[in-house]
Amino acid sequence: MSLLEYHVLLALAGAPLYGYAITEAVECESRGAIVPRAGTLYRVLARLVSRGFIREKDHGEESHPGRARRWYALTPAGRHALSEESQRLGAVAELALQRLGTGRP
Amino acid sequence: MTRWISWLIRLHPEAFRDRFGAEVEAHAREDLERARARGSTHALRCGLALFIDLVASAIAEHAHPAWSGSHTVHSRGRGRGMGIANWIREVRLAGRSLARSPGFALVALGTLTLTLGANAAIFAVVDAVLLEPLPFEEPDELIVITGTSPGSDLPPEFGLSGEFLLDFREEASSLTGIAAFNSFTATFRTSERVERVRMSVPDIALFDVLGVAPALGRLPDPERDEVVISHEMWTTWFGEDPSVIGRSYPVMDGRAREIVGVMGEGFGFPNDEVLVWIPGTLSAEGVTPGNFGLNLVARVAEGVEPDAVVAELQRIGRRAPEKWGGSARYAEAVANLTPIVRPLEDTLVSEARAPLWLMMLAVGVVLVIASANIANLFAVRAEGRGRDLAVRRAIGADRYHLVRSQFAEAIVLAALAGIASVGLAWLAIPALVAVIPEGLPRLAQIALTPGVVAFTLALAGLTALACGLAPAWRASRPDLARLRDGSRGATRRRSLVRDGLVIGQTALALVLLTASGLLIRSFQELYAVDPGYDVSDVFTFQFAPEEAHLTDGPTWAAFHVEMMDRLRALPGVESVGIVENVPLDEGPEDVRVVTGERPDPEGAALASLTVAGGDYFATMGIEVEAGRGFTRDDAFTPGNAIVSRTLADRLWPGEDPIGRRVETATLPGWHTIVGVVEDVLQFDLRDEPEPLLYYPLVFENTEVALTSPGYVVRTARAETIAPEIRALVTEVTPSAPMYRAYTMQGLLDRTTASLSFTMITLAIAAGLSLLLGSIGLFGVLSYIVAQRSREIGIRIALGAEASRVQRMVITQGARVVAFGVALGTVVALLATRLMEGLLYGVGAFDPVSFSSAPPSSCSASASSRAGCPRGGRPQSTRSSPCGSSDRAARAPQYR
Repeated sequence: MSLLEYHVLLALAGAPLYGYAITEAVECESRGAIVPRAGTLYRVLARLVSRGFIREKDHGEESHPGRARRWYALTPAGRHALSEESQRLGAVAELALQRLGTGRP
Repeated sequence: MTRWISWLIRLHPEAFRDRFGAEVEAHAREDLERARARGSTHALRCGLALFIDLVASAIAEHAHPAWSGSHTVHSRGRGRGMGIANWIREVRLAGRSLARSPGFALVALGTLTLTLGANAAIFAVVDAVLLEPLPFEEPDELIVITGTSPGSDLPPEFGLSGEFLLDFREEASSLTGIAAFNSFTATFRTSERVERVRMSVPDIALFDVLGVAPALGRLPDPERDEVVISHEMWTTWFGEDPSVIGRSYPVMDGRAREIVGVMGEGFGFPNDEVLVWIPGTLSAEGVTPGNFGLNLVARVAEGVEPDAVVAELQRIGRRAPEKWGGSARYAEAVANLTPIVRPLEDTLVSEARAPLWLMMLAVGVVLVIASANIANLFAVRAEGRGRDLAVRRAIGADRYHLVRSQFAEAIVLAALAGIASVGLAWLAIPALVAVIPEGLPRLAQIALTPGVVAFTLALAGLTALACGLAPAWRASRPDLARLRDGSRGATRRRSLVRDGLVIGQTALALVLLTASGLLIRSFQELYAVDPGYDVSDVFTFQFAPEEAHLTDGPTWAAFHVEMMDRLRALPGVESVGIVENVPLDEGPEDVRVVTGERPDPEGAALASLTVAGGDYFATMGIEVEAGRGFTRDDAFTPGNAIVSRTLADRLWPGEDPIGRRVETATLPGWHTIVGVVEDVLQFDLRDEPEPLLYYPLVFENTEVALTSPGYVVRTARAETIAPEIRALVTEVTPSAPMYRAYTMQGLLDRTTASLSFTMITLAIAAGLSLLLGSIGLFGVLSYIVAQRSREIGIRIALGAEASRVQRMVITQGARVVAFGVALGTVVALLATRLMEGLLYGVGAFDPVSFSSAPPSSCSASASSRAGCPRGGRPQSTRSSPCGSSDRAARAPQYR
């Protein structure tokens, strides 16, 4: 799972979001390390939809003409994948801190 | 402003675009708007990042699709991908489909192969002669300098003289080098071979200016008797023997000169015929001001414009009289002198350019016409499949798929034809080189180069595109209405496309016909020119005897007189003469002639000087207009001369020239005019006659001798007498073989060879285009008749006569042809102006050529029309209404 994929899943774990909101969440939650641009973001969304990790969600929002907003939500499979990846990343981060000698004893 | 975002999104695959395109666009716009709100720097950075991101994601999505679209999941990899496998499958299918209609495939393949092959062969010539850069260093910087001086008695454009060369070399900062060159024929003698060959005595600086050096040995020292020979002479005379370097042979004037170098292959200057260069240097002492006629080649300093060169040379040139002196007449000529500067390349290939491009254009037009025919055939095939395609579209094949399958056939055909035509060109190029007239520069370099192969294959690709476009376009929008029972597809729009093709073909064929008609008329006019001599029944040859007793002018003259007597004794020989420069073969030297009335150089007129003896004028059929020709006595006593009509008129306008006296600096001594003869055309039948002065075989200076003149022999056996003369020459001088043996008719054919070659090529192209055009028209009319068989059946059922139906069809064809003829005439009017330089004696708007082309194109179309009822009658004028119900009965299988 790529870093951007992880962050997108992470952003959607709270609540369903639409495209630009996902970008903002990713930028914020990665502390500005990741600023996805449109093309890249939607290829990731496409891949996640194809894999069944996220799905399009009806939001009941009235569609503004000329502004096609689609909301995406995490599926149970996505939630599971996010949790597995988080555990893996947590272990990796712990290992790193240990090696650097700044971790807990 | 932000339209580029939509463009970039369009680069993405369709499936991705359909699903996410709008979102990506909205997202990108929002991004940009927010960045803009934060300032222009942010906006710029964001725009750049977006641009890169969108291009990258488009490429990535094509390479590894993240989105395949739910409806195409099952057909992934088989559908729209550009995969090689898909194409291989299509190509295999196309091959099978073509094999099912071998007639169509063979006709299309044959036509394409022939026309592509012809294009490849002619392109090989154009490429080698016109497109390849000259084999010199930075050839674009090389120029040729001549001059013009309105108001003087000099020709409209003339070569400058030595003092200009020296001044330009010394003072002109716009030139980095300058050299003089010439070329002439003289004798080269080895122990095995004696011949007059083309030589050049250039300025030693020439090699430096051109940036060339010998491939073998070194450059000659101009102070010593040293020469450098061409690669061709090294091959043909010396068998590529490297030990030739250091050997000495009598060259040019009989003086022994040492060969010190061999030039590289392909080097020839000023032309490929030059075999020997005898470099010299021009010093200020050797300069006679006003001795015009020098050829100058120079290298322009980097970045200097031609206008600046002309301006500087003019400034320097006009100072020449104050520096070098010379006559008042010279000063006057120089005061009006304007140098003319031309790229060297233009000078070397100028004569070949127009005919070669014309030929290239002609074969290109034939290819266009052939492509139009094949496109038409493809269109008819696609038409026949319209129903099939509609069904495929209806059950879900997408448009891309249909286009691809239709296009594959054209690609297969063009690829096969491309490969076959390269093979054809490989066979044809040597044959073409063999029939191309001599004198075309860089003839030896013509070959099937990678460039030619690439050109041919690219042309084949273009042809595929052109031929396949119509059917593919048709296939991409199948007429779904065809699926309805009984519908007939012949709509007006489609026949417009086909009519357009026929109109274009007729027009192009007409243009080619007009052009070839103009050339044929030029050729006729050229042959009708009176050159001043009679070319039939004259044989000419040269030989260069080397006998110990031939030491001075009188002994040589006596030898020639005796030789002429022996030639005259041969059976069937009517008369024999001798001349220094045989017309159409060699040119005489230009000299200044002064007259007894005005002996000062101020009165000197430019004329050509040659030497004649025996019955030269009678043998050549040159009329003696006043006085007499040379007698036997003139061959032994110097002092008499004969002038041509033009020279007589120039020196003594309106007066009797007989008994007047002339002198030249080249061969000093006063000569008395004893006769006036008809003008002759020395080189080219298109030229105006030059003033010509004839001297007899001996001169006041007995050291000057005529050593290898041209003999002319009048005999009815001119074509067959060569072996007897050869035997006689061998008998007289065993060591000196006969050479430059021609009939005058042969020489005349040689001078017109370039024109006749262009004419024949163009005539063949025109004939082919006419044939192809007729076939195209025939195909279209047959097809239209077949399409209308139901309508025609109904007409006949309602009582229309067969003749009436035939007339209807013919009228339709005639209308299309009439359009084509009208269009073609207009195009021809514009296009033939381009070939004005090639024409002789006819204007580009020659009414004869223009009025004869349309009838021939019409009559050819008529023959195709005559064929049409053949295609039409069995099916249509004889067709019963059953003919059409027959079709309707077949229709249900598609339901």
